[in-house]
Amino acid sequence: MAALEAIGLRKRFGTLQAANDVTLSVGQGEIRGLIGPNGAGKTTLVNLVTGVYVPDAGEVKLAGRSIGGLAMHEIARRGLVRSFQVTRLFGGLTVRENLLTAFYARRTSADDDGEAQAERMIRLTTLGPLADTPAKKLSGGQRALLQMGCGFMVPGRCYVLDEPFAGINPVIKEVILDMIVEVNREQGAAFLVVSHEMAIIRKLCPQVTVMMEGRVAAQGTLDEIARLPAVVAGYLGKALE
Amino acid sequence: MYSTELVVQTLISGIMIGVLYALMALGITFIYSIMRMINWAMGEFYMIGSYLQYMLVAWLLGPDLWWLAIVVSTAGVFMLGLFVQWSLLKPIFRKPPEARDDYATVVTLALLLMLRSLATGIAGPNQFTPGSNLPIVMVGPMPLAGARVAAFVFALAALWVFWAVLRYTWYGLALRATSQSRVGVQTAGIDVLRVDRVAFGIGVALAGLAGALLAPVFLVFPTNGLITTVKGFEIVVIGGLGSIPGALIAGVLLGLIESFGAAFVDSAYQNIYGFGLVLLILVLKPNGLFGERGREA
Repeated sequence: MAALEAIGLRKRFGTLQAANDVTLSVGQGEIRGLIGPNGAGKTTLVNLVTGVYVPDAGEVKLAGRSIGGLAMHEIARRGLVRSFQVTRLFGGLTVRENLLTAFYARRTSADDDGEAQAERMIRLTTLGPLADTPAKKLSGGQRALLQMGCGFMVPGRCYVLDEPFAGINPVIKEVILDMIVEVNREQGAAFLVVSHEMAIIRKLCPQVTVMMEGRVAAQGTLDEIARLPAVVAGYLGKALE
Repeated sequence: MYSTELVVQTLISGIMIGVLYALMALGITFIYSIMRMINWAMGEFYMIGSYLQYMLVAWLLGPDLWWLAIVVSTAGVFMLGLFVQWSLLKPIFRKPPEARDDYATVVTLALLLMLRSLATGIAGPNQFTPGSNLPIVMVGPMPLAGARVAAFVFALAALWVFWAVLRYTWYGLALRATSQSRVGVQTAGIDVLRVDRVAFGIGVALAGLAGALLAPVFLVFPTNGLITTVKGFEIVVIGGLGSIPGALIAGVLLGLIESFGAAFVDSAYQNIYGFGLVLLILVLKPNGLFGERGREA
């Protein structure tokens, strides 16, 4: 049983078919890459899967159960956690309060200790000196780190990360990479990582899905995909240069 | 030459009434900061609070248990707020946000007319007072009406509870987070419509509390919420929409200006002085003393 399955998803915006029969599956404990040129429909897919958009057709399953028609918060509470390309943090709340909000929002038992988990996450994100700073004062990279930390406050089944490495300095990139690997290993959580950074995708994702013009164009290892003429012509030729 | 006593007395009565105005403004600004809508029927929840207080004191509990009546009246308005959000506002907020505040404006204005007509229809245009047998309180040589002092103390206690809930409880954290980003809390796994319900209940309960507390002072009649609502909105403009400290500080400021204007200029224009301050603020600082230009992150 896959951690996350999208089956035949379609979404049209006016005349643009943003998702055209997209079928994709992320296995238990798998870290799958999702790549493709700008406008290929990657973020549309993320929004369809996490309940931001209602698909015109198709189905989404989380650990075998359909999550179609559920509200965003219900999907999150079932363990499908996403991150945004433009971080959605609570600017006026401190780093610690952001983490605690994420904790209380999804905690499964009233006994769980949020404070201790927040401490642990502050260490993991290396945001210790900024723990009591409002999130709006953080740099872009620090925000990305905090967003990751919020997602990991309560173990999820599957994480959908939309461009977690875009515009972030190399040091913080490494920290985020380590966090993903560690959560994957410790909790066995699955990941779908949308990214343009081929070096990181190569390191992180054994299997990759390529989207082009709203469709799944190819799936396989990055090296297999790099040999497909259509993918190279449409996207990778430029990205790998 | 004015006596020091008069100045001090004016100061005290200004602060006392200002805190009660602030309750009203806090309700408006709190609902706005969570739901991004203005509740135009705020004065009607004030009115209902005052009627509840009158009925409880006159028919059920008696004047000695006025404080229990206040708690029950406030709780009653809170419950009514939950019901109004569930029945009238939630369906609007389920839809995409485009025309949301237009709908919310129409719905709350309709609610205003309906509740006001209902009060006139049921209780008639009469003025009631729950009365108060609280003794006059002497502050130094100065006598202060017992009902006003009690209202002031009660309001301060309510403000403290409000602050403590926001600051120290998990629900307070959810409320503060929602005021920062509605999309953010939904992604985190919080049911934003449920947060709305509680926020609307708390917001109108603050108005109901003001109504119950001021019932012996400003009397009970179908349109008694009007003046206080206007003052609530004046305070919100002065303090800045969405700012809680702004509502408190501007509330006391308005109380002081009115009471000094009434004592030292002309008491006939008591309700006008605040507008002068509003105009001044709009010219000098259009976002209010603590208003924000926009929100980020």
